[in-house]
Amino acid sequence: MNNIFKFSFYIFLTLSFAWLAFVVGAKNQYGDLDPTSQYLEENGSMPKDAELYPMSMPGIAQLGSKEYLSLGCVTCHTQQVRSEIAGFDVERGWGKRPSVPRDYILQEEVLLGHNRVGPDLTNVGLRDYSNEWLHKHLFMPNSIVEGSICQPSPFLYETIDEPASDSIETSINGEVTHIKPSIRANRVVAYLQALKQDYELPEIAFSEKTEEESSEVVESVVSASDENVTSFPTWLTAQMESGKEIYMKAAPGGGLCYTCHQPNGKGIPGQFPPLAGSDWVLGDKERLIKISIHGLMGEIVVNGVKYNNVMAPPGIPPGSLTDEQIADVLTYIRNEWGNSTSAVSPSEVASVRSTVQDRAPMQMWTAAELEKKYSSD
Amino acid sequence: MKISPEQQVDQSAKFAFSFFIASAGLWLLAAALLAYIAAAKLTDPLFLATWEAFTYGKIKVSQANAFVYGWGGNSIFAVSLWIIARLSQSPVRGSVFLIFAGAVWNLAITFGLLGILDGHMLGHELLEMPKQVWPALFISYLVISFLIFVVFRSRKEKITIAPQWFIIAALIWFPCLFLFGWSGLELNPGRGTLQSILSMWFGQNVIWLWLTPVALGCAYYIIPSVLNRPIDKYYLAIFGFWCIAALAPWSVVHHLEGGPVPMWVPAIGTVMSIAMVFPIAVASTNFHSTAFQDISRVWNYLPLRFVIFGTLSYTISSYIGVIFSLPAVAKLTQFSIINEFHFNQRVYGFFSMIIFGVVYHILPQITGREIGTTAKNFHFWTSALGVFALLLAYLIGGLTHGVLAQQPSLEWVKVIESVKPYFLITEYAFLILGFSQLVFVLNLWKVLVPNPFSSCDSNLQQKTA
Repeated sequence: MNNIFKFSFYIFLTLSFAWLAFVVGAKNQYGDLDPTSQYLEENGSMPKDAELYPMSMPGIAQLGSKEYLSLGCVTCHTQQVRSEIAGFDVERGWGKRPSVPRDYILQEEVLLGHNRVGPDLTNVGLRDYSNEWLHKHLFMPNSIVEGSICQPSPFLYETIDEPASDSIETSINGEVTHIKPSIRANRVVAYLQALKQDYELPEIAFSEKTEEESSEVVESVVSASDENVTSFPTWLTAQMESGKEIYMKAAPGGGLCYTCHQPNGKGIPGQFPPLAGSDWVLGDKERLIKISIHGLMGEIVVNGVKYNNVMAPPGIPPGSLTDEQIADVLTYIRNEWGNSTSAVSPSEVASVRSTVQDRAPMQMWTAAELEKKYSSD
Repeated sequence: MKISPEQQVDQSAKFAFSFFIASAGLWLLAAALLAYIAAAKLTDPLFLATWEAFTYGKIKVSQANAFVYGWGGNSIFAVSLWIIARLSQSPVRGSVFLIFAGAVWNLAITFGLLGILDGHMLGHELLEMPKQVWPALFISYLVISFLIFVVFRSRKEKITIAPQWFIIAALIWFPCLFLFGWSGLELNPGRGTLQSILSMWFGQNVIWLWLTPVALGCAYYIIPSVLNRPIDKYYLAIFGFWCIAALAPWSVVHHLEGGPVPMWVPAIGTVMSIAMVFPIAVASTNFHSTAFQDISRVWNYLPLRFVIFGTLSYTISSYIGVIFSLPAVAKLTQFSIINEFHFNQRVYGFFSMIIFGVVYHILPQITGREIGTTAKNFHFWTSALGVFALLLAYLIGGLTHGVLAQQPSLEWVKVIESVKPYFLITEYAFLILGFSQLVFVLNLWKVLVPNPFSSCDSNLQQKTA
C-alpha cells in the first residue's frame, strides 16, 4: 500500500478485470451477431429466401433517432422489453416478446434508457398510432393524452392560420390550431413508427398470452356463439355477426370492447363491469347509445356492485363508431351470453345522436347524469 | 514570526484550494438552478416549453453533468489537494499549473453543457457532453492529479493511512474509467447493447469509484483528526477499501436486470451488490463507533455534524440500495423514479454533505477567517431538510410508481398521475436545496474575498505586519 506504483497497479487491476469481463467477455459472446431468419431449419441453417431480421430502419428514421437523442427523450423513455422473469413488460402489452441483444445490432444509437417516467417505446410503431396522432402528441402531449407530463415540442412545428395541404388540425384547450411539422418533426415520427419488434427470432418466440392466446379465445368464443347465432332470425343474425366482429376487433373500425369487458362478457371483478346479465345492458337503450357515443367515466353501480373506471368512447380512434356499428354492437351485447332482449336499430342511434349533438366529442357521461335524465323522462 | 509546518502547507495550498472550491460553489449553484428547472418542468410541462434548449431531457442531463463534473470534480480537486498535502506534510507545488488546468477543466464543462443544451448530446450515461470537450477535460484532469501525486510522493511519513488510499485510488480510477469507457463507446464502439453495458458501467462507476471514495477518504481523515482519537477498529479499513475496489466495478451493472444483455451480466451485478454489504458495514463501523464515543463534540462542531450526516446517509441508503438490487424488488422499481433516489442520495445526501463539512473545516485554517455560526447552521439545517424531503419523496414516489406500473390494466397516464404529488414535493425540495447552496456560496464568498473596506481585518494587518 505504501508504494504508489504497486498500489496503482493493483487498483487498476481490480477495475480492468471487471471491464474485461463485461466488455471483452460480452463482446466475444455476442459481439458478432448477424440478422437472421425468424425460424431455422432443423439443421440450423436459414431457410432459403427467408426475410432476415432485424431489418435496418429507413433512412429518415435513422435521422430521427439522432433527433430523439438530442431532444433527450431517452431520459424518460426506455426501449427495452424485459424478460418475463424480470418484469411485467410483456403483460403490460409493451411487446409481443422480451427484447434480445440481436434486436439492436443495426441501431447506431442504442437508447435502452433506464427510467420510465413515460411508457416504454420499444414497440411504439406497433400501437396503431397515426402519424397525425404522433404529431399532435409531439406538439402538445397534454392536448391529446389528458394528464400527460410529456414535454411539448412546439419548436418543431410552425403554427399557421389557414389549413394547408400538409398541416394538421389540432385543438389546444378547445381552440383549433393548425400546425405544420418541420422536417425534424417528421424524422422523429418516422423513427417512432419504425420502432417495432414484431418478428420472432430463433432465440426468442412471441410470448404466449399475447396474440396467439387472445386469438384462440376469440376463436373459441366465435365457435361457441356460432351455435346461438343460428337460432336468430336472419336479419338479426347479420347484425349479431357484425356486432361480434366490432366487439372483438382491435384495429381501426373495431370497438375494442373485449379488452375490458372480456370475450365472455363477464368483465373483471372490481375493475370493469360485466355485460352478461347487466341491468344497464338489458335496460334503457338510450343510455346505452349515449355511452357508446361519448363513453362513460366515474362511479357506476352495475347489478348492485360499484365500479369506478373510465370507458373512453368506444372505437378506434375513440368515438369513431358509426350509427350502424353502434346498433350492431349493442344488439350483440344485448343478445349474447344468455342476454336476450330487443335489438337496437341504426335509426334509434341516429335519433339519440341528434339529441346530444352539442356535447363535446370526448366529454364522457357520468352514471349520475344518465340516471337523472332517465328518471325525469 | 515563525510559521508552523502546517501553516506552510496551508499557505502553499491556499490559491489552488480557493480557486477550486470557488468554482465548485458556482457549479453547485448552476446545478441547483438546472435541478429546479427540471423539477418544475415535470410538474408543469408548459414551463419554458417554447425554448428548444430547455427540454426536460437536456436540462436533466446537464444538471447531472454540472453536478458531477462541475461541483464534484472541482471539490474533489480542492479537498484531495489539501488533505493529501496535510497528510504528507509537504507543500503544494505548481499552483499556477493547477489553476490553469482547473480553468481549462471548467471551460470544457461549460462548453460541454452548452453543447448538450444545443442538442449535441451523446447517448452514454455521464459521458453525455459532446466529444470535442473530452480531450480537454482529460488532459486538464491529468495535470491536476499529477500535481497531487507529486505532493503525495514527497510525503514525510512513508506509511500510508486510509484517507490516502481512498483519495489516491479515486484519482487513479477516474482516468482509467474514462479511457475504458471512451475506447468502447467512441473510439471503437461495440455493436448493439454492448454499448449499453459499457455506458451503464461507466456512468455508475463514476459515482461509485470517484465521488464515493473521495467522500469516504474525507470522513476517514476528518473524524479522527477532529475528535483526536483513533478510528475504532481501524484494522478493518483496509478490508473495506479492497472490498470496494474489487466489488464496486462488478456490482454496478445490476441495473440491466432483465434487459437485452446476456443474463450473466446483471446476475453478477446482483451478487456483487449484495456482497457490497461488507464494505458498507466496515465504513459504517469505523465512522460511527468512533464518532459516537464523543457525540457532543460531533454535534457541536458543525463540520463534523455535516460529515456524520453524510456517513449515516451513506450507510442507510447503501443498504436500501442493496435491497433494491434484489431481482424480486428490482422487478418493481428498476425503471421507476427510485433511480433518482439512488443518484440524489449519493451525490447530495452523502458526497455533498461530507464535502460541505470538510470545506468548513479547511477554510478557517487556510484563510484565518471564521465563518459565522448562524450562517453555517442555517446552511446545515436547510440542506438537511432539503435532502430529507427530496429523498423521501423519491423513495415513496418510486415505490408508488413501481407498484402501480406493474398493474397491466392501469393506463400509463394514471400511473404517472399518482406520482405527480411527489414530483411537486421534489420541486420544493430542490428550491430549499438551491437556497441552502446559495448560503454556502455566500459563506465561501465571505471568507475567500475579504471586504476591502473593512479596516479592522485583523488577519490582513497581521500578514502585512
